Amino acid sequence: MTLLRVAEPQEERAHRLEREFQAVLDAAVDAVVLFDHEGRIELLNHAGERMFGYNEQEVIGLKVNLLLPEPYRSQQDDYLRHYIEAGEPRIIGIGRELLAKRSDGSEFSAELAVGRVQGTDPPRYVGFIRDVTVRRNAEEALRRSEGQLTIAQEIANLGNYVVHYDGKFEDYWSPHLYRVLGRRYGEPYIGVYDYLEQMVHPSDRARWMQARADLHSTGRSMDIEYRVLQPDGSVRHVHHIAQTSRASDGRIVREVGTLHDITDRRRAEDEAKQMQDRIAHFGRISTMGEMAAGIAHEVNQPLTAIATYAQACQRLIACGDSSKEEIAAALDHIGAQALRAGEVIRRLRSFVKNREVRRELLDANRLLDDVLMLAQTDARHHGVRIVLQRCASAPQVQADAVQIQQVILNLVRNSIDAMLEVPEGRREIVLRTDIDAEGDIEFMVADRGTGVDALAVAELFNPFFTTKPGGTGLGLSISRSIVRAHGGKLWCSANPGGGARFFFTLPAVPATAGG
Amino acid sequence: MRGNSNTARPTIFIVDDDAAVRDALKLLLRSVGQAVETYASAQEFLEGYGEDRPGCLVLDIRMPGMSGLELQQKLNEKHSILPIIFITGHGDVPMAVEAMQAGAVDFIQKPFRDQDLIDRINQALEKDGANRAALGERNDIRRRLETLTPREREVLDLVVHGKANKVIAGDLNLSQRTVEIHRARVMEKMQASSLAHLVRMVLEVGQV
Repeated sequence: MTLLRVAEPQEERAHRLEREFQAVLDAAVDAVVLFDHEGRIELLNHAGERMFGYNEQEVIGLKVNLLLPEPYRSQQDDYLRHYIEAGEPRIIGIGRELLAKRSDGSEFSAELAVGRVQGTDPPRYVGFIRDVTVRRNAEEALRRSEGQLTIAQEIANLGNYVVHYDGKFEDYWSPHLYRVLGRRYGEPYIGVYDYLEQMVHPSDRARWMQARADLHSTGRSMDIEYRVLQPDGSVRHVHHIAQTSRASDGRIVREVGTLHDITDRRRAEDEAKQMQDRIAHFGRISTMGEMAAGIAHEVNQPLTAIATYAQACQRLIACGDSSKEEIAAALDHIGAQALRAGEVIRRLRSFVKNREVRRELLDANRLLDDVLMLAQTDARHHGVRIVLQRCASAPQVQADAVQIQQVILNLVRNSIDAMLEVPEGRREIVLRTDIDAEGDIEFMVADRGTGVDALAVAELFNPFFTTKPGGTGLGLSISRSIVRAHGGKLWCSANPGGGARFFFTLPAVPATAGG
Repeated sequence: MRGNSNTARPTIFIVDDDAAVRDALKLLLRSVGQAVETYASAQEFLEGYGEDRPGCLVLDIRMPGMSGLELQQKLNEKHSILPIIFITGHGDVPMAVEAMQAGAVDFIQKPFRDQDLIDRINQALEKDGANRAALGERNDIRRRLETLTPREREVLDLVVHGKANKVIAGDLNLSQRTVEIHRARVMEKMQASSLAHLVRMVLEVGQV
């Protein structure tokens, strides 16, 4: 820098430069040290005094390397010597990071730049030293935090990314995201959706596209589970959460998201669910076993009617004292009764068949109606009347029909068993659908039986707890897990006037979802 | 009162909660010329049935509300003599035994051969006819007994205890001639053809 001042006397100019130089030195944030070709200190500015804890007067004439700890101290000598011998202009370098040493012996991170003062011989040097402790600490903390984040992501099997739509910054992929997507760390980055585009499982594709479109159009966050096909052909389940931030004009500036590999959890869940379904199936078969006598009776009724109609027809034909219409009517009845017997068998089969569990939108009252035939079978056999009280508003539930019917039937069976000791006239079960205070669908099975013993209530839903001779003790336990899997609850209370009432709820389905 | 119980036509009363079984039975029995009435419940039958009507009851043992067994018990309490044939399902043997012990004439398992049922019904009707005839005769005897004067009743009691006229005259402090006149009146009023007949009639109604 050349300061151009015209018409200034030589001496005044030298003074002024001296003052300005002193002001620059005093104002400098960095330590400035001047030393000669043998490394003897000639000047240390205020910042240097503060940084190293020396008084300038103490150190003048001392070797500059006293400001450095080993091994830098010896290196400094080598550098200087080498410079002098080789005459290389920038051997001392600029912006070298090393440790510096204070007067009390403590060390700190510093950045050192050394330059030669031009036009001096023997050469003199100026050194700038910057205390970078804070920066180094921050860098160290950041590195540690990143390392911990990477470990955490590995443990959680979760990766995250940031996509910048405005092109001002580079997109970001966490190292573990590569693993989640079955890539090697360091592969060229082509954009998270460019990868996913090729990987999303065809069956989940429509759902995924929709979620993505919603994220971009509505600004709601995306939260979706789907399957991806890894490059090695394996199928993984991922949970993808993403959010966008927008500029004031609504343009999307940035999207941040996480991809969580939940395959192991999903497999465990699937296995648990399959096990539960198998137990539920076992429960249905054992319920049917208990109902065998009633079912036999229920098939026997139409068979009796069929046999009797047929024999009556033969007699009517033989004696010639009958109309064609009469015979035709009897044949009609025979047909209808055969279908009736078939229907019992069909319902029985569909109840015990091992099948895929499937949740559908169902009318809660229809569920009652459908289970009624099997329930009646057992009830009639034990002299029990069933009274239906349907909710007038025909509420809808999302449920597996057979499993919910299993719960109802199980409760009905328990009620029947509880009433075997009461006079036949009092044997009545009320089946009711209703809507509870929270708007959920409530099913009730109420009886006039012996009621539930206060001591038994606590254990009632435990597996293998039974009060019935020959009972498996699984019915209520299975019923409760079915109801819970549907997001509802199952409980019991005393029936005012005697007996017990069992309730279970299923979450209501919003009317709009009803279609 | 529905006419004379001895001459009214017997009716088969069917009580079964299953409409098809009920209807089929009605058709079958109609095909063999029987008068049939059907009821869907025990209660309905109790309300509709007049006790003096002859016939037999074909009763389903298992019904919701009042069961067949309960209906039988109610009829027994009313001293009904209507014979009962129970219709049972498989595995209802203990109930059938109970029904028989309570006086049912028979039971038949579903499904059944038509002839088996018809035979059982005919037997039951025969029994009902005999029961009702015997019941009618006893009622006649009782009516005749009621026409005797107190003195004639005294003479009758002593006669059936095998006392000779002379002993009776002594016991009642009457002349032997008077006893003979009373005795002839008793024989006439009781329509007895012989002393043995008279004794049998009095034993029949248990008034010895």
